[in-house]
Amino acid sequence: MLRTEHLSLAYGDKPVVNNVSLAIPEGGITCLLGPNGSGKSTLLKSFAGLLSARSGQVYLDDRPVEQWDRSKLALRLAMLPQKPIVPDGIQVQNLVALGRFPHRKWWQRNLTTDNNATFEAMAMTGVSELAERPVEALSGGQQQRVWIAMALAQETDILLLDEPTTFLDWGYQLEVLELLSTLNREHGLTVVMSLHDLNQAAQFADRIAVLAGGQLDTIGSPREVITEPLINRVFRVQTSVTLGRDGRPFCSGFSESARGNPPASESSPVHATAQSETG
Amino acid sequence: MTHPATTTPRAGRRGIRIPGTGSVARLLLAGGLSLVVVVVAGVQLGAVDLTWSQVWSGLTGDSSQHVQRVVFELRLPRTLTGALIGVHFALSGWLLQLLSRNPLAEAGILGISAGASLVAVVAFIIGDWVVSSADPYNNTSFALQYLPLFAMAGGLVTALAVYFLGMRHGQLSPVKMTLTGAVIAGMLHALTTGALAFWGHAHTELVAQWLAGSLYGSQWQHLRTLLPWTAIGLVGVALLVRPLEVMQLDDQHVRTLGLGLNRWRAFALLIATLLAASAVGVVGPVGFIGLLIPHISRRLAGANLPVQLVLCVLLGAVLAVLADLLGRTLFTPYEVPVGVVSAVLGVPFFLYLLSRQP
Repeated sequence: MLRTEHLSLAYGDKPVVNNVSLAIPEGGITCLLGPNGSGKSTLLKSFAGLLSARSGQVYLDDRPVEQWDRSKLALRLAMLPQKPIVPDGIQVQNLVALGRFPHRKWWQRNLTTDNNATFEAMAMTGVSELAERPVEALSGGQQQRVWIAMALAQETDILLLDEPTTFLDWGYQLEVLELLSTLNREHGLTVVMSLHDLNQAAQFADRIAVLAGGQLDTIGSPREVITEPLINRVFRVQTSVTLGRDGRPFCSGFSESARGNPPASESSPVHATAQSETG
Repeated sequence: MTHPATTTPRAGRRGIRIPGTGSVARLLLAGGLSLVVVVVAGVQLGAVDLTWSQVWSGLTGDSSQHVQRVVFELRLPRTLTGALIGVHFALSGWLLQLLSRNPLAEAGILGISAGASLVAVVAFIIGDWVVSSADPYNNTSFALQYLPLFAMAGGLVTALAVYFLGMRHGQLSPVKMTLTGAVIAGMLHALTTGALAFWGHAHTELVAQWLAGSLYGSQWQHLRTLLPWTAIGLVGVALLVRPLEVMQLDDQHVRTLGLGLNRWRAFALLIATLLAASAVGVVGPVGFIGLLIPHISRRLAGANLPVQLVLCVLLGAVLAVLADLLGRTLFTPYEVPVGVVSAVLGVPFFLYLLSRQP
């Protein structure tokens, strides 16, 4: 299980995350929420052992991730960066097969078991028909499914995603989140991701951690976390939170400075209609 | 990126396809055949064109002294040395482009060749001063064997400097690395010219020819000096293929796949530098092969790195031998250095490739 204890992180002299203690539930979906610069991405990177802690520690199975051998860690924990780089001209199946790297010694080519895992990952994410297509030629939503397939081919029990919906249009955002939710339900994958959309987090997460100014503000179930006072405090937005038919909270907000004007971004009424269709 | 024509997709669960095994085989066959053709032409053509039977008897040592000298002592070693330096520069460029994720990276552009040249020229001048006969075209001299070592020392120091100065926030920044390399290359060129102007009087012409990248006077000794480094480079590149496939991804992505990025990048940089600098030490800096051949190989092979690698070896050798052949036959009895010809041939072709890039 993944958890942090009094974790503080910094880039050089600039502190980014301050004294965060939290536990990631096994087999659940955890969302990190917070305004820009609140430390969501930094915290995710530290989960993957990509940053060393200034103080405190990240633990995987009660062992500090910094002490894990990188190749062993890669068998437990996969990460999808916010803007992954597509190798020049690579085909879908070959990109997905890169996820098998930690399962082989560095000089070995992939074996049949690796190919099976690759095909299975493509089937689970619905990209099998795209196997021979160059990744560059795919739509944003298809590319994101391919990247998730690569992470699945890694066959880890934990998947970390840094804002997996940010560069997608709204339809693809839901598609990706639903895919992650299915993988979580059917394969017991532990998902940890940072998101910007409160309502998407409320709809898909089992647990939400809200960061503000590098500190953990609140952690709990969507109903415990998505409340009017919290959103006002952390995002400086006046909202009204209602409960949907599925029992999950839903908020519509108005920026404090522009109260009365039509809302701009994250929680527009458009979401509301589609939300009730899908939810 | 286009794939070789007629890539028939091999669907099916068994075995991830090698894209169109047939077309890959055809590509490699075509590359191999062109290499054989240019090598034969390199031996046959020159100031005096030989007939097939003369070439054959020259090789088997069954002919007049004159023919045998032309074939065995002049053209064959020169052609083979040319092929090897083509392989060196092409593979070095291929590695540098992959490890820095930068299509413009190459030993010349990153200043590695300039660093190698400077140290080699200084070593040559000092050697000349001390021994009084350090003529690199004289195979009895001590200089030839040691020039590659001096060149490698210069190349390694430059490569390390460019690599570390090219870092930003602990990550390699391709743009910063290229700019740093270009600036350092300019400075080293100036220093080389300065060194030459100050101390090089006795051999200015000779050194200037070497600096243009020339195969003139290449003998078996040159080939023997180069061959161990070719072997080391090929083994290194083969070991690097699979890590390089992963290293094309984002740095942090690579780390979460369990690859020790810094270690592998350092190794790739070392092999790329050894390949380029050893060739610079023997024939001088030859540009553009390292830029062009990896690009062409990528175009032909798609994302398949092992095929790219083999194509780099074949086509690098072809371009170098061809450029040298043209350089010494077009304006006989004058010779145009191989570095000049490869640039004149290569640049228009490169511009054409760029204009077709989407």
